[in-house]
Amino acid sequence: MTLTLPSAREEAWRWTDLSGLPAIVAAVPDAGRDALALAAMPAAIASERTDTRLLFVDGVLHSSSTPGRVRLSAVDARTDHALGRHATADGWTLDLAPGQIANVEVVHVATGAASHVPAHVILAPDAVASVTETFVGDGWTNRFFRAELGKGARLMRAVRLLHASGFQSLRDEALLGEGASLVATVLGAGEGSSRVDALVTIAGEQAFAEYGGAMLARGEQRHEAAAVVRHAAPHGQSHQSWRAVADDRAVASLAARVEVARHAQKTDGIQSLKGLLLKRTATVNIKPELEIFADDVKCAHGATVGELDRQSLFYLASRGVDPARARAILTRAFVADALDRIGEEAVRDAFVADADRWLDA
Amino acid sequence: MLEINNLHAEVDGKPILNGLSLSVNAGEVHAIMGPNGAGKSTLAYVLGGRPGYDVTGGSVTLDGADLLEMEPHERAAAGLFLGFQYPVEIPGVSNVQFLREAANAQRAARGEPALSGADFLRLAKAQAEGLSMSMDMMKRPVNVGFSGGEKKRAEMVQMGILDPKLAILDETDSGLDIDALRIVGDGIERIMRKPDRAVILITHYQRLLDHVRPDQVHILSAGRIVRSGGPELAHALEREGYAALGLEDARS
Amino acid sequence: MATKNAEAIAAANKKYEWGFATDIEQDFAPKGLSEDTVRYISAKKGEPEWMLDWRLKAYRMWLELEAPDWAKLNVPPIDYQDAYYYAEPKVKPTLASLDELDPEIRRTYEKLGIPIEEQKVLAGVEGARKVAVDAVFDSVSVATTFRKELEAAGVIFRSISEAIREYPDLVRRWLGKVVPQRDNYFATLNSAVFSDGTFVYIPEGVRCPMELSTYFRINAENTGQFERTLIVADKGSYVSYLEGCTAPMRDENQLHAAVVELVALDDAEIKYSTVQNWYPGDENGLGGIYNFVTKRALCQGRNSKVSWTQVETGSAVTWKYPSCVLAGDGSVGEFYSVAVTNNLQQADTGTKMIHLGKNTRSTIVSKGISAGRSDNTYRGLVRVAPTAESVRNFTQCDSLLLGDQCGAHTVPYIEVRNPTATIEHEATTSKISDDQMFYATQRGLDQEAAVALIVNGFAREVLQQLPMEFAVEAQKLLGISLEGSVG
Repeated sequence: MTLTLPSAREEAWRWTDLSGLPAIVAAVPDAGRDALALAAMPAAIASERTDTRLLFVDGVLHSSSTPGRVRLSAVDARTDHALGRHATADGWTLDLAPGQIANVEVVHVATGAASHVPAHVILAPDAVASVTETFVGDGWTNRFFRAELGKGARLMRAVRLLHASGFQSLRDEALLGEGASLVATVLGAGEGSSRVDALVTIAGEQAFAEYGGAMLARGEQRHEAAAVVRHAAPHGQSHQSWRAVADDRAVASLAARVEVARHAQKTDGIQSLKGLLLKRTATVNIKPELEIFADDVKCAHGATVGELDRQSLFYLASRGVDPARARAILTRAFVADALDRIGEEAVRDAFVADADRWLDA
Repeated sequence: MLEINNLHAEVDGKPILNGLSLSVNAGEVHAIMGPNGAGKSTLAYVLGGRPGYDVTGGSVTLDGADLLEMEPHERAAAGLFLGFQYPVEIPGVSNVQFLREAANAQRAARGEPALSGADFLRLAKAQAEGLSMSMDMMKRPVNVGFSGGEKKRAEMVQMGILDPKLAILDETDSGLDIDALRIVGDGIERIMRKPDRAVILITHYQRLLDHVRPDQVHILSAGRIVRSGGPELAHALEREGYAALGLEDARS
Repeated sequence: MATKNAEAIAAANKKYEWGFATDIEQDFAPKGLSEDTVRYISAKKGEPEWMLDWRLKAYRMWLELEAPDWAKLNVPPIDYQDAYYYAEPKVKPTLASLDELDPEIRRTYEKLGIPIEEQKVLAGVEGARKVAVDAVFDSVSVATTFRKELEAAGVIFRSISEAIREYPDLVRRWLGKVVPQRDNYFATLNSAVFSDGTFVYIPEGVRCPMELSTYFRINAENTGQFERTLIVADKGSYVSYLEGCTAPMRDENQLHAAVVELVALDDAEIKYSTVQNWYPGDENGLGGIYNFVTKRALCQGRNSKVSWTQVETGSAVTWKYPSCVLAGDGSVGEFYSVAVTNNLQQADTGTKMIHLGKNTRSTIVSKGISAGRSDNTYRGLVRVAPTAESVRNFTQCDSLLLGDQCGAHTVPYIEVRNPTATIEHEATTSKISDDQMFYATQRGLDQEAAVALIVNGFAREVLQQLPMEFAVEAQKLLGISLEGSVG
């Protein structure tokens, strides 16, 4: 496969460093991948409600999976996205009939090479799906996730990036029908770098989309989330709430855009982007963007960048909390509201625990 | 001065006023009372010419001129002042700037010379004082950051400055404490109780009428006037409630 | 209301009040761009060798550059060979005052409404604020007033051509230091062919005794205007500089690619105010100015301050980012902007605040007003370098949309590499509510007056940064620019 990657000269990629990818593409997967796969199992949340469990090792479905309602084969979805378009191998499809419910958990293990897996979720009217994905291991895991939500359908999506090294790229595309609802939360709390791209299109009236999360970066990591919510129908609501934390020499970047098409009147689009720098060598980049073509809309964004509030640190110290602990507590509070929106308790707890592990390390 | 004859009006295709007739002479104060949803605010908006309030029948004249043919700003220049139940905020535009432009626009429409800056400030100061408002407040943006009571007082200052023939005051008493009610009531009396002026007070309660004694009281229900009388009608209403008069809240 | 608006928008046919061409003889450079054009301009101006070399170096750089891609702008390719790069009024005046000006030009100024304060000043009106004017008519600076009084204070206020001849060391020291020749396509082009502009030097400790003002006006057909402005404020000095721009109505688009460089040394302050109403084209987007301007300030000194205020109502296309490089510790950068677009205008404007020094602060207030079928974009960058301790930035970007055929866009970049920074950014999008319109019309204002008033309120934070007489002009201009946009 010839690999053409976007360059940092392109406006949408100026904060991204993809220079390490060709080397990973050339790498050979680890011979002991089966053992690695088994070792990765504790990464699964294994909530009681989960009815479908998928384990991908280097993009190949592992025999321990319980596919439930999911179909594994070529995926009927394509994208023009610069990275997402490489995900053309076989992948998984979840196709729910009206009113059906599914709880899917996917764990992706990488053993040092590159893998590209597409996924397609189709929710008929009033279907409800929860899709939780966890990424562990090393290498470049590249994923394309497409969702189509019929009238009144609901999708809860939660993604954890916990890889030990390498690069994780994720392209999400979601199309929301009338009254449909998408709540997606991404947590970057591993040791590799990442790029999360999302395009959520509000295609039906009164649809609701929440897309956000927390990107925690340290060492030489580079995390970037670039999310677009496109309001193409009236009376839609969207909320993009992102938190970026950068330590050491890391770079954490957030680009979020709200687009409102000409006829999408009465849109309510909110963005809240916040960056926290923990060391003087770290970088936070933020780009809260609005592109508005309708006049009767409510679109606002707020963005802040700074360090931990000194008064709060002092307050905690005065109560006997040591400085490292105080920083962890306040950083946790900074991250927490981005994870609070995960609906299912077991999933939320797992995400919070991962964030805590990152903060305590 | 104001002749409303068999007025029908609708909002979003829904009939609200259903054959309302009312005659107000110069020198009179009329009170219009009625349960929620009777059409009180709609009447005020229709007379003010608010877009979206469509007249489907009847006529309204102000001093013989067809009010319904006029644009909202032309009605203002013709001497109609609407006191808003919820006065609107205009960020960045001071009360002084707003009222000077409004007053001079009205004067221009009537072929009168514009007020100079100094004359206008004198007028504004006198009217603000009359309603216990400071000039500092007059220099702040229109209604921005004003409390409910301050907004209503500011409406009366505007009325004093613009000096209309006919004031239609929509729930001007709502959100006022006892002191503010007295200040506003005195303001209405001082500004409007004149032989060539008239007032329509739209209110849900009796209490403003203790300060501004109406010559006539009308009860509005389901978009038409169902009963008229003197001040005693308002007292009866206060004592016995709308239900005793066989009137229910249209919204409940 | 919505249908009414649509009708009014369709009917929008604003007349450009400043659209008239002055009939005076002009001296043109040969059409097109070549080394010869550059040499012609330099020779015409009697420039020293170093200046010609500097221009030629820029020209050769320009040949290697590619025109920028247009983010949110839709601009047809420009034929750089199909324009005149130099136009000079035949009667070349070197005047002590505007009184001696060619009466035809003088009338032009009067029609422009320029003489507002200057006329009063010239007529000796008691108490009139002093404003010194350097007028750039097409490419040549024709007059500077008050030169004597300024000279007594030690202030140098010259056309840049004169300054190159009279103060070569000073000009050479700073020219291209803030905006290097290679900075961007249009700045490089300007460096090669700039025809005239203004040079200001305020000596140490001097508070410039009057506001300095330059009016740019594009008159001749097919002339690009490439003026160059350089302002150096030495230690502890202060200057307020006003720039007004107009252009007559022409069917063909005219290119305007100016460069403005500001330098503020220790404790110096420069306040730079612009009211730009170049011809915006007609309601079908025919004609109008392409305004591609590079404006940048270097706050080199400790505690220096540069404040940009702009009211942009004109031009078919505006591409402009007045910026501050905050190098000196404690330096302050400000950007206050009102940009109005109507009909088919496109504006892409904003600022870059580059924080390099410690305790540097910046404030950005941008008010975008879109009407007709126009597009209005705020594009900005706040960058905090690792060296910059305790930086503060506050940014407020508000958009107001009039009608449902226009666009308002906000593209702010925030890049922070120092944890002690405090960066706050807020943005809102709104329209004029039906409630506001009814309230204002009920008080007697007609629709247009009501819109103008509400828009002025929306832009107030920026307008109040302008010097008084400019603010009054700007308020009127906002109303005129939006005529017919709401009905």
